[in-house]
Amino acid sequence: MRAPSRVLAVAALFGLLAPRVASAGTLSDPTGSHAVELVHGFWSVVADVAGQPGDADDQQAPHPPPQAIPPGSKNEPPVALDELSKPTAIETRLREALRRHDGGIRVTVTNGAARMGDFSIGSNETVPGHLLVVQGTADIYGKLLGNLVTVEGDVVIHPGGVVSGDILTLGGEVRDEGGEIGGEVRTFRTSNVLETPLPAAAAPPPSAIETVFRRMAGVLGVFLTLGALGFGLVMFGRSNLEVVSDTVSHSFGRAFATGLLGQLLLLPTFGMLVVGLILSVVGIVLLPFAVVVYALLVIVGAVGGYLAVAHAMGETYTRRRLALGAMIGSPNSYRYLLVGLGALAAFWAAWSIFGWVPVAGDLIRGAAILVTWLLATAGFGAALLSRAGVRENFAGRLLPPEALTDEYLWATPQFGVTAAKRPGSRTPTRGL
Amino acid sequence: MRRAMLSILALLLGASGAAAQTMRPFSTYRQWHGETRLDARLDYAAGALRLAAGRPAELYRMDVLYDGDRYLPVSEFDAARGGVGLGLRASGQGGLRVVSRKELRQTASVTFSPRSDLALAVTLGAVDGDLELGGLRLTDLKLEAGASRATVRFSQPNAARCRAATLTSGAAELSVLGLGNSRCDRITFEGGVGRVTLDFGGAWTSSSRVAVRMALGEVALRLPRTVGVRITLDKFLASFEPQGMVRRGTSYLSPGYDQAARHLDIDVTTAVGGVTVDWLE
Repeated sequence: MRAPSRVLAVAALFGLLAPRVASAGTLSDPTGSHAVELVHGFWSVVADVAGQPGDADDQQAPHPPPQAIPPGSKNEPPVALDELSKPTAIETRLREALRRHDGGIRVTVTNGAARMGDFSIGSNETVPGHLLVVQGTADIYGKLLGNLVTVEGDVVIHPGGVVSGDILTLGGEVRDEGGEIGGEVRTFRTSNVLETPLPAAAAPPPSAIETVFRRMAGVLGVFLTLGALGFGLVMFGRSNLEVVSDTVSHSFGRAFATGLLGQLLLLPTFGMLVVGLILSVVGIVLLPFAVVVYALLVIVGAVGGYLAVAHAMGETYTRRRLALGAMIGSPNSYRYLLVGLGALAAFWAAWSIFGWVPVAGDLIRGAAILVTWLLATAGFGAALLSRAGVRENFAGRLLPPEALTDEYLWATPQFGVTAAKRPGSRTPTRGL
Repeated sequence: MRRAMLSILALLLGASGAAAQTMRPFSTYRQWHGETRLDARLDYAAGALRLAAGRPAELYRMDVLYDGDRYLPVSEFDAARGGVGLGLRASGQGGLRVVSRKELRQTASVTFSPRSDLALAVTLGAVDGDLELGGLRLTDLKLEAGASRATVRFSQPNAARCRAATLTSGAAELSVLGLGNSRCDRITFEGGVGRVTLDFGGAWTSSSRVAVRMALGEVALRLPRTVGVRITLDKFLASFEPQGMVRRGTSYLSPGYDQAARHLDIDVTTAVGGVTVDWLE
């Protein structure tokens, strides 16, 4: 089955490419100018991107029977086609004027006429004034002494045909087959002038349960993402994560102050980096990379720091439980991270459940934001202090030998050996 | 699993198709009715731009694919002064859009008639531009490039005599190739930050004066051996390699400068950066 599907895929590829090659072959230019060929090639690309508007005739709805469009009522302002140099403004005006009233279109054209369906000017005819043609092709064999605008229709200037003014097509194209156009030709191949905009239905406000579910889903998504990132961090950078985590635990105040200072200095540092690179001239080349790297470092610092805080929270909680004699299967960094993220998610879960309650909902949300910012700042600061987990100075790991007392060693699980409950004692003291 | 992948792929394709719908194709042109001169102004805010000589039967033409939510096409002809304004300008609407850069890539192709004298003023914003001016009848050129990367080429000799070419760049990478074909009496370049390459190759038919002022960046001069070249340098913290030129006072002269039939006098003023010279064979 695999071989035939490959054959089919190759055949489909040829099928897609073949028409383009064929059409490219027809784009020869009598002048032989390479630039002109490029321009023609450009337009074929534009046609491709715009959804083959060259086949618009095939896709357009059948034109209505030719007829004059009756003038609008006195309340409706007439449409002036004297000035077509701002085509989008004309388009907006026509969209307003061509709205259907009582099932039909009515419009008044200043110094001109409006037609529905195909319209042609005979070779011995002269039409004075501007002309608006809606949903029809304008075939010009004779003379039009004014501007010509079509909506969802093409313009064909036949040999000997003359349009003294400008031409604007909104949803069509101009085919100059040897006629004379005195003014400028402007073509929008696509337009939505006749599309009646649907009235925007006011969406009903979501119910409280719907709101709760939406928010819960959002919180779950965010923390699952953080969990995935955290697991990756544990897997590939466990030692660094643990150092940052220990820095948060042992030097929280210092980490928070550093994080706060770091946030304040983010922009000035970025400015100095950019200016320095520009002044070095050679560094100008590196500027885009430096900007991206700086942004990435900040994001990694903030997210990594936040995960380290979660790790620290989980570790503290787990060790306390172990010290209380709880049997925990695998007290490792994965568990610490999950427990910590769960605790952090609890704030937002509370908001997602009770966020719809007036006042209290806002208070919970404010508290969740504040706590998240505090912990993220501390985590960011710890990442800075520990140089992303490389320096252990503030991680509380450089304990003097006299600090390694029996009490400490007993309460601190070493190499995965869980601490046993001290017989006769109720609760371990701080530091566990 | 495969079904899920296909669903995701379909969603992605659908999303990209929906975003592409905001790009609108617009064309404008004017028949050539014997006009001898055109004063053209091209303001192009963002995207890719190609400019070249077009069909003789058309005075000008612009085909553009643009973001209809954020930009407006400009196409204004003033018959009284024989001038036209073309390009794309920001509409000041639309806000911030976060989609693939490819989907928002605006493209424009602008051509002018090789029959009419052309005074051209081009202003580029954030543009990747390729301007082929050879084959036109260029009488004046004014180019302002903001944060652009542009190449201006004179692949064929200018069919008219160009009075002056003034090129200005902000933080841009600008290459001007074949200036010998431009037939401009006076060429001025003013740059802020970036890199500029001035290639003076081509068929020189007269002498020319060039002024280059660059604040911060690199100026690369590619010089022909067929004309006498004199470079007068005013630099602050910039390096310069004379590459075989002989110093006379504050100037550097190419060998045989005094005997050359045509002269190219270049005044370079730069603060920080470097000026390099390469000889065209």
